[in-house]
Amino acid sequence: MAKVWRVIALALIVFFAVGPLLWMVLSSLRPADQLFVSDPSLIPSGFTGEWYREVFASDALQWFANSLIVAVFATLISLVVGTTAGYAVTRFTFPGRRLLLIGLSVGYLFPAILLLVPLYLVLSSLGLVGGLTGIVIAHVTITLPLATWLMKSFVEAVPRELEEAAWVDGLGYFRGFLRVTLPLLRTGLATTAMFSFILSWDEYLFASVIAQGDNVTAPVAMAGFVTSFDIRWGAIMALSTLVTIPVVVLFFVLQRYYEKGLTAGGVKG
Amino acid sequence: MTLRPAFLSRGLTGRQQRAGMAFALPAALLFAAILAYPIFESFRTSLYSIDLLTGDASFAGLGNYSALFGDAGLRSTVVNTLLWTVGSLAGQILLGLAAALLIDSDWKGMRWVRQILLIPYVVPVIATALIWQWMLDGHYGILSTNLQGAGLLETGVSPLGQESTSLWTVILVNVWRGFPFAMLVFWARMQSIDREQYEAARVDGAGAWQEFRHITLPNLRSAVIALLALRGIWTLMYFELVWLLSRGGPAGSSEVLATYIYKIVMGEFRVGYAAAIATAAGLLITVIGLIAWLGTQLRRRTNG
Repeated sequence: MAKVWRVIALALIVFFAVGPLLWMVLSSLRPADQLFVSDPSLIPSGFTGEWYREVFASDALQWFANSLIVAVFATLISLVVGTTAGYAVTRFTFPGRRLLLIGLSVGYLFPAILLLVPLYLVLSSLGLVGGLTGIVIAHVTITLPLATWLMKSFVEAVPRELEEAAWVDGLGYFRGFLRVTLPLLRTGLATTAMFSFILSWDEYLFASVIAQGDNVTAPVAMAGFVTSFDIRWGAIMALSTLVTIPVVVLFFVLQRYYEKGLTAGGVKG
Repeated sequence: MTLRPAFLSRGLTGRQQRAGMAFALPAALLFAAILAYPIFESFRTSLYSIDLLTGDASFAGLGNYSALFGDAGLRSTVVNTLLWTVGSLAGQILLGLAAALLIDSDWKGMRWVRQILLIPYVVPVIATALIWQWMLDGHYGILSTNLQGAGLLETGVSPLGQESTSLWTVILVNVWRGFPFAMLVFWARMQSIDREQYEAARVDGAGAWQEFRHITLPNLRSAVIALLALRGIWTLMYFELVWLLSRGGPAGSSEVLATYIYKIVMGEFRVGYAAAIATAAGLLITVIGLIAWLGTQLRRRTNG
């Protein structure tokens, strides 16, 4: 009997978690005459691709391309800078190390909204408001602390003796890092890249303030869709499905590695 | 005795320190440029009265800060923010705990159930907001129309669109989005509980409830504290979900600090005042964090 209740409770919770997502996908495939009724049936009697066609005929591809470019650059910068910094603070003692660690924790915890005004002022004085470069820089403020934090914990897991042997062999610090440590950090790098990418792909606040004209990212453009008078829910659900797919696919492909990233705050808020 | 710092010396220590500094340099520069400097700027800006539209800027001293106390909108916003934070965290932790207990079994396929339950946490927040807006749409939304059919909601109304329910609806969506994280943290912690404790309890004739109460819960204490600290800060100042779901409305009924600041910057262009709210909120969080940290330190000392 206890087992039956357990299965029922589990089914309810799974339904709560997945139901909205199934509804999103179903709605994106539902013909208009079945979408805008006051008593929608659970399963549509027919499917349509018209919403996806409509989305692809609009500027959506441009928005997704922008999001992709921003996320890739923000991820690359955070990965390079975060890995070297994570390496520095775990392997070496040097003046300023403590300060860097404190800055890292503050940056990691710092809520984005508190950075909005000053970051906007700095970017606008540099003439970077409106373009993708400005969005990349803004996203790095979010992804870099996470990347450094994650890479620090991955470097800690690599045995020190390997590098020391390399140093003794006369490989030098930098080449020792490149040839010995870096290959051992592969899974760490994959995890960190995935979560940096998700954070940037997901980000709305900074992008909504910085992006202008053709340079909007997908979340910003999608948010603008709803405020218009005639809400095209079919197209909106198609867009939502499209913006969700890359993240969920990444998540399942890299599922072996996700736990550390998630618990380290791979998704803020 | 030389006064030369070690990193300038020629020995091994000197070389190692230089290597460390070289590896840290890019991050140090970036942190300084995009975090430290803006935070300093934020404080400086808060001392000015700035209008982005006209470009006027004049020194206001602490004027922006004293204006905080006379801001009636801010007061109800702070109350909402506290409700939002407490409600979201309580919901996420309770549902997360229930889910963690349910997936903590060696049934076949449980790994997949765990994966599936984690999905809401990685769905982009824009998609989350749009899905729920659609389901809660007053005319065609599946949830709203069913609630209306059951007589729990007036016809044509969305729970996001009426003042009495908007905040709680936004909280519900945040629970949907955040409970998988709590589940993961609890579940991971449960895996490290010594199974012998349960066997010993069973020998003593303990029931499932007593096992949960006396073994599982005490072992999850540290996880709960960590969750509350981290998620507490992020939820307190979380912007995206509230903004995208309700824009803080209707009539400010779901306004939280983050959306309030955003509106003052983007809607009213009063940058100095927004910076003052941000700085005050930042200071408040820091103070609360310090007190919590000191508390755990003191506790550790008296216990050990």
